[in-house]
Amino acid sequence: MVRKHTRRAAKAAYAVSLAVAIVIGLTTAAAGSAAGKPTVTIGTKNFTEQYVLGELYKQALQAKGYKVVDKSNIGSSEVIDTALKSGKINFYPEYTGVIVTDLAKEPFPKSASATYAAALRWEQKRGFTLLSPTPFFDSDGFVMLKSTAKKLGVKTIADMKKVKSFSYAGFPECRTRITCLLGLKNVYGLKQVKFVPLASISVYTLLDDGKITAGDGFSTDPQLQTGKYVTLTDTKHIFGFQNVAPVLTKALAADPKLVKIVNAVSAKLTVPAIAAMNKAVAVDKKLPSAVAKAFLKANGLG
Amino acid sequence: MTLAAQFHPGTFVDAFRFIGDNAGLLLSKTGQHLELSLTALGIALVLALPLGLWLGHKHRGLFLALGVSSLGRALPSLVLIAFGLTILGIGFWNNTAALTILAIPSILTNAYFAIDGVERDVVEAARGMGLSERQILLRVELPLGLPLVMAGIRIAAIFVIATATIAAIAGGGGLGEIIVNQASYGLEGVVGASYCVSALTLLAAVLLSLVTKFVSPRPEPKT
Amino acid sequence: MIVASPPVIPNFGSASKCEQDNGWWCTDWLHQHWGDTLQPALVQHVELSAIAVGIGFAIAFLLALTGYRFRFLDPPIGVLADFFYTIPSLALFQLLVPITGLTVTTVEVALVSYTLLILYRNMVAGLRAVPEEALEVARGMGLTRSQTFFRVELPLAVPAIVAGVRIAAVSTISIATVAAFVIPKGLGRPIFIALEQNLFKTEILAAGGLAIALALVADILLVLMQRVLTPWSRA
Repeated sequence: MVRKHTRRAAKAAYAVSLAVAIVIGLTTAAAGSAAGKPTVTIGTKNFTEQYVLGELYKQALQAKGYKVVDKSNIGSSEVIDTALKSGKINFYPEYTGVIVTDLAKEPFPKSASATYAAALRWEQKRGFTLLSPTPFFDSDGFVMLKSTAKKLGVKTIADMKKVKSFSYAGFPECRTRITCLLGLKNVYGLKQVKFVPLASISVYTLLDDGKITAGDGFSTDPQLQTGKYVTLTDTKHIFGFQNVAPVLTKALAADPKLVKIVNAVSAKLTVPAIAAMNKAVAVDKKLPSAVAKAFLKANGLG
Repeated sequence: MTLAAQFHPGTFVDAFRFIGDNAGLLLSKTGQHLELSLTALGIALVLALPLGLWLGHKHRGLFLALGVSSLGRALPSLVLIAFGLTILGIGFWNNTAALTILAIPSILTNAYFAIDGVERDVVEAARGMGLSERQILLRVELPLGLPLVMAGIRIAAIFVIATATIAAIAGGGGLGEIIVNQASYGLEGVVGASYCVSALTLLAAVLLSLVTKFVSPRPEPKT
Repeated sequence: MIVASPPVIPNFGSASKCEQDNGWWCTDWLHQHWGDTLQPALVQHVELSAIAVGIGFAIAFLLALTGYRFRFLDPPIGVLADFFYTIPSLALFQLLVPITGLTVTTVEVALVSYTLLILYRNMVAGLRAVPEEALEVARGMGLTRSQTFFRVELPLAVPAIVAGVRIAAVSTISIATVAAFVIPKGLGRPIFIALEQNLFKTEILAAGGLAIALALVADILLVLMQRVLTPWSRA
């Protein structure tokens, strides 16, 4: 006959299954009826600077008693915008130029303030709004190794016209953005570019390995401070004006205390500040949360 | 919770339209996908199949077969892809290496047990008839163990084709490139590319079943 | 734009030589970040996997009972489970986000779906493999249908069931690494972050190594459990 403990195990298995099934049923019922308190659900995109920004706003709000849910690493603007529209998040830091040209698909504004105004107008039409923009801006840039630029003899993006064919790496969404590949192809007429999509790896990794000619870097990347790379001049301004402004629901923005806290943080984010924080995370391998905490504390906001 | 309000079942249908509208793109991505998968599978077959068959014939290396099987399953695909990228740099071979390692366990283990499990009497009879070891393996044991061997290859093939989607993270290209780029291709693109991956795995399974039937010398014994 | 006094930029501390040069195994990074990066990721990973296998087991078990009892339901349930397995995990995670949000639930639903194939098939096969003689003995002893099930069929199916749990557990741990694509949890997260930070070798190796170790430990524990529960067979 079958051993006793095996029979017991079999009975236990059956009991466990039933219990788990009941528990799932109960918890889904409970979750559905949870009451809502005004909570800030912050989303961020999937790169260093966004993690830092997310932590800065989150910790500043938490220090003043707000409940914050952290949804970091959602993905590109297009994806995170879907998350905002469907209510999965109600707050995220976005680049004003990206809103205007990539999301709203409007033509390039001529200045930083015009960009902000256009972005604000568009978001408000959709039921959202922007808070004050940061002093710093982070635009994409046509980055290559200094040695490559010298070899090809190029100083501006327009100069790339004379290069027979070249590869350009960037986040996947770069492929369909006028502030990225589309701009290179349509505005600069660089039809000979071959796009290399990078879902997870840094552009600088490929540049260092010599696997690509140029890549889509961000102007606040710490790597650009090392002097090893050069950013070609964007004479036609396809990369736009990219200050950061928090996008949030009108409901959240109706809270004056919240607005004050967030704007106070944004006001302190100058280019040297954000560049130092990016470097601390990306190069010195510090945690974004620790870096944000130190910065907020030093500035009396945390 | 605003759930179902945002989910459009229409996405599943839109995905077919995506496939229709982007046939060229999908074809080239499928080509890349197959190039990577088949290379990895081919190398794995060359490395693991003869070894598995021979060890099974010799009835040696049970530990190796079991160990490789356990270890193989324990290697998370993303980890191998990340290791491949870190060690070999970005390109074609880092992902090929990772996928090859993932394919080997099924092939090796199944080949071993297939040959090892052939009835000793039959093998003895063949030996008695004066067949050489190689002839015994190829003409007696392999035909009898073929179903299990092919099952192992089928499992490896499906696994490799499915995992090759993750290789897009490390520059592997293929249909995974569409799947990680919801921003450009939308959710219908992600679903459309998944349909293609599922179709490929189905195709591989069917092809291998046909090969098995074709190569099998006798009807499969009822289990 | 707001005008405010310039910010105070504190010293965030610099990295060790090993970290700056992207060494293969920076022990100082490991010491510093075990507590805040690796350990939480490991714990999250264990939680994600355990919940998935637990729930998957429960659902597969109930499905297996159904498919075993009502034979005509077996093929459709089997095909459905098979189908889930061919969906690439990256796609399934993204598909579920509009439905269940950027939450652990999304990941769990996907992980559970993947376990169903392995567990369902193993359970049904195990139940079917019970020898006729054992059933006849039970019948001869006068056991009722449910008594037969609980005292004979189910216990004899335990080896196959545990074998299935073993495979399901290891493959869940593996797929859970990809979950970091949608939620910032599990051992996949340090890997994705390290990939973006110029392929930071130490973090990739450490997080990857932990994932492999976790899978091996789970496998060994379940093999032991298999042996304990079925001493009459050398599994």
